[in-house]
Amino acid sequence: MPTITIDQQEVQVEAGSTVIQAAEKLGVYVPRYCYHPGLSVAGSCRMCLVEIEKMPKLAISCHTQVQEGMQVRTNSDQVTQARRAMLEFLLVDHPLDCPVCDQAGECDLQNYYMEIGQHDSRFLEDKRKAKKASVIGPHVILDQERCILCTRCTRFCEEISQTDELGVFNRGNRSVIDLFPGQLLDNPYSGNVIDICPVGALTEREFRFQCRVWYLRQQDSICTGCSRGCNVSIHHNPSRPYKAGGKRVQRLKPRFNPEVNRWWICDEGRFGYQFIDQNRIEQPFRRVSGELEAAGWDAVLEEVSTALEAVLEKFGPQGIGIIASPQQSNEEMHLIHKLFGELMGIEQIGYRNPWESEGFHDDFLIRADKNPNSRGAEEIGFNNDSRSLLEKAASGEIKVLYIFQHNFESEEAHELLARAEYVIFQGSNWTKTADFCNLVLPSSTHAEEDGTFTNFEGRIQRFEQVFLPLSESKSGIEIMTLLARRLKYEWPYTDSSDVFLEWHGKAYDDLEDFGELI
Amino acid sequence: MSVQKLVSEYFSNPEAKELAWYRRHGGYEGALKALDEMKPQEIIDEVISANLRGLGGAGFPTGRKWSFVPRDTGKPIYLAVNADESEPGTFKDRYILEWDPHRLLEGIIICAYAVGIHTAYIYIRGEYVRPAETLQGAIEEAYQEGVLGKQVLGKDFSLDVHIHRGAGAYICGEETGLLESLEGKKGWPRLKPPFPAVVGLFGSPTVINNVETLSHLPRIMVNGSQWFAEIGCERSGGTRLFALSGSVKKPGVYELPMGTSLHELIYQHGGGIWNDKALKAVIPGGASAAVLTHQESDVQLDFDSCIKAGSMLGSGAVIVMDEDVCMVKAAHNIMRFFAHESCGQCTPCREGTAWVYRILTRILEGQGTPDDINSLLEIGGNMSGTSICALSDGAAMSFRSYVNKFTSEFEYHIRHGKCEFDER
Amino acid sequence: MTFEFTPENQEQFLEILNRYPRKRAAMLPTLHLAHQQQGFITPEVEQYVGRILEVPLVDVREILTFYTLFFRRPMGRHHIRLCMSISCWIRGASQIKDHLDRTMGVPSGEITPDGSFSWEAVPDCLGACELAPMMQLDKDYHGNLTPDKVEHILAEAPGNHSKADQETLRETKKQKNKKTN
Repeated sequence: MPTITIDQQEVQVEAGSTVIQAAEKLGVYVPRYCYHPGLSVAGSCRMCLVEIEKMPKLAISCHTQVQEGMQVRTNSDQVTQARRAMLEFLLVDHPLDCPVCDQAGECDLQNYYMEIGQHDSRFLEDKRKAKKASVIGPHVILDQERCILCTRCTRFCEEISQTDELGVFNRGNRSVIDLFPGQLLDNPYSGNVIDICPVGALTEREFRFQCRVWYLRQQDSICTGCSRGCNVSIHHNPSRPYKAGGKRVQRLKPRFNPEVNRWWICDEGRFGYQFIDQNRIEQPFRRVSGELEAAGWDAVLEEVSTALEAVLEKFGPQGIGIIASPQQSNEEMHLIHKLFGELMGIEQIGYRNPWESEGFHDDFLIRADKNPNSRGAEEIGFNNDSRSLLEKAASGEIKVLYIFQHNFESEEAHELLARAEYVIFQGSNWTKTADFCNLVLPSSTHAEEDGTFTNFEGRIQRFEQVFLPLSESKSGIEIMTLLARRLKYEWPYTDSSDVFLEWHGKAYDDLEDFGELI
Repeated sequence: MSVQKLVSEYFSNPEAKELAWYRRHGGYEGALKALDEMKPQEIIDEVISANLRGLGGAGFPTGRKWSFVPRDTGKPIYLAVNADESEPGTFKDRYILEWDPHRLLEGIIICAYAVGIHTAYIYIRGEYVRPAETLQGAIEEAYQEGVLGKQVLGKDFSLDVHIHRGAGAYICGEETGLLESLEGKKGWPRLKPPFPAVVGLFGSPTVINNVETLSHLPRIMVNGSQWFAEIGCERSGGTRLFALSGSVKKPGVYELPMGTSLHELIYQHGGGIWNDKALKAVIPGGASAAVLTHQESDVQLDFDSCIKAGSMLGSGAVIVMDEDVCMVKAAHNIMRFFAHESCGQCTPCREGTAWVYRILTRILEGQGTPDDINSLLEIGGNMSGTSICALSDGAAMSFRSYVNKFTSEFEYHIRHGKCEFDER
Repeated sequence: MTFEFTPENQEQFLEILNRYPRKRAAMLPTLHLAHQQQGFITPEVEQYVGRILEVPLVDVREILTFYTLFFRRPMGRHHIRLCMSISCWIRGASQIKDHLDRTMGVPSGEITPDGSFSWEAVPDCLGACELAPMMQLDKDYHGNLTPDKVEHILAEAPGNHSKADQETLRETKKQKNKKTN
């Protein structure tokens, strides 16, 4: 393992590492455009030039391999001058789009200019013209004028999505990024090019002109689209909610996790956050004469506790059936297990949707199981067959059926539910299941409470609360707590972290950075 | 002193491209000697001692380049013959292809045997349609007569030679740009290291040599390295072809010993400046080389002397400019070429060449500003030593030399908005 | 309108493939062959070439747009490349360009109305500076040009009336029209 010196600090790295990787290990940031740790090395932007002793010219740190005893300087006058020069070159034909460009505020041309540029332009010629605001796919817009030809996007299409849509046409300063005419950038991972584009050449259609990024705040979260559990950040705009038109989540960005999704996320996960703000159940409902009528929490919880107590007394725990959901967090399911399983002695707890078919999957990130926490439900032990629970409810053996989250769409399910005596539905979004319920309890989404999911390989990953539950919805943990208190059980939990501590034995902050395998 | 013609002997002799004629006049004897009497390492040593240098532009010692090739990787070793000849002012390889293709093939055989190569590709620029046809004819003859193929010249050595035509890109004359193009991609030069000798064509060790360089090998084999070295000067052996063009009475190909004076080439062989004009400037080695003023022009034409003089011998393309040639227009013409040919991969070249071309265009249109001169020089500095390949360095060296050495002409354009040479 | 190699070219293509250890390396010779067959490269040709070489379509287009010798639309029956590089410029290429600007009737990069010629003034040196100023007409180089020599060369291009004949044709047409009016 060679040791090298960067800016007079020593660092030891794996043989075969490049200087930029060694700098990263030391915490020294070298500016770059074309270099991305998840892609092959292009070495074309020339922004990462550094001074290496005994080398006659500056060398690009993304490509130069470390040698024992190498002396590197990343901040000498020569290096700074070269960086300024490269920056000046890139700005020469760059359109002055900042006022209308979504990238403003997270643009590496702006960022580096503020750090080391701050020069006046001496470019007196006409800037070149190319395609602008060109929709190249369902999620991506291309602006060829803004492009600095770092080729991260073409390398992504070749190496990661392996779909080869984007290329560089022409040569010299007529070079442009484009598609073969008639083709679209529509692979399942197309949105990633938006993240890796350092400038506003590739931008998100859904996010176009929605919000200036300096208004955004972000929280760590986990994608709920499938059992992979890609790490994400949920971006929201807390300071100007009146501008958002009811849309709290502005966008999702993938978060680096070397064990799960690395830098990437599929489009379905990236753009599948509408459920957090749309089609929500915003208050409790009670069925009166066949129609759902809005009700208050007190009334509804009273009805639930009364029904449960009554059945327990007359028929025992066998009279109650629970269908939890692999959409729920480990904490929620732990409390369901606690309240219904332990305290009430109910054995009939399932979690699967028997009519859910396997979804699309590939050999990259997308998994067939479209639930984030099947593994969590499995580990907690909700092993009863849901179909038999529904059948028992239809036959009258189960008197009270409590369903969480599930969207039962099949006719068979509807037929069974129609015959059930008393059905409680607790969920965040309106589903077909709610059509057959006596009570509807609005719960929050994962964006509105702290919690964890366990992904398909048994990795426990944490998600953070981004904002308060919408309208009158409550977190699943709060609902269980209110119910438990009404039923007069001993209930020491106040929030997710208490539950997690009990369930997993440690505090959230002590959970390993990239998740923990069970 | 009689001028030795080592590679240009048969220029303008239409019989020389026939295999039978070539053989009757000593052709393929060098290759036979190499295959029969010498071991590969001996050949490499001979070529090193001969001081044969790369004649395409870089001037790298040929034998030394061959010695970098690892022979024990288990991978095939390739030869890529650089017949892309696109450096402005250069036309010498074309003569070899048109008049003496068998000499090139013989040189290829010698190189292949020395380095352990069994497949060679001749990358010939797309515009050279007739030369490629002539070369193809020579290759077919060679196969027919057993000079190429499974048993080269009847010996236990196989060699296949294929022509690979380019399609109009100067950057494919850059070694790794050539390799990329040969592999079926855009001619984007590669990052180095690794160098082609170790990782070249299809991931295998590869030698890339210029047409003329290889064409010297037959005579080096027959007459020996010392003979060759002594013809030249201290570190550049033998003769080389000079492509003389521009404001001279007799433009053409001239084969002269390395170290010949530039004045001898221009005045003795080239007939001097045309139309009884005076010499103003001369480029000694192709458009990528710095221009020399007439005061600087008394220079020796070998690789090291030209570097000492602040320019380079390059491809041996000597471009002469008389007193009425506007240096601003010359720089503009050259930068139009580089901006057109930049592959576009890296920032300083892609943006720098196009920017400088536009500044020079504006100056020629009469809209120059005094700051332009400094800007040009600084931009040139930023284009040097920062790019993936030497195109950027060559372009910068070139246009900066015009701005530095003929500043008054640029100032005239900027001040008066017109050319002082237009009336003449 | 799909594109396909003729049987002879198909054979030639297989021979080309044999020269290289990887299919992709046959890209330029294959495009040259297609260009020879059709005269220009269309998206259908790109799709065909991409398919037979097993190369993504976008890569074929990258090649097509990177290099300058492939036509992407039908050009004149004869194509002229006039060299405008440094040595040719020193020896008067601009005057030859002016001449072609006047006599061709269409600017550089375009095709004459009767489709006989297309021409372009190119910034790249064509490698014949000893003949400066020079041009390439189809496959051949012609140098030491003067306006007269250029006219002579164009007139001699196979399948074309000489300028003199064209003049006669025009006059004849004029006379005809006069008569009928």
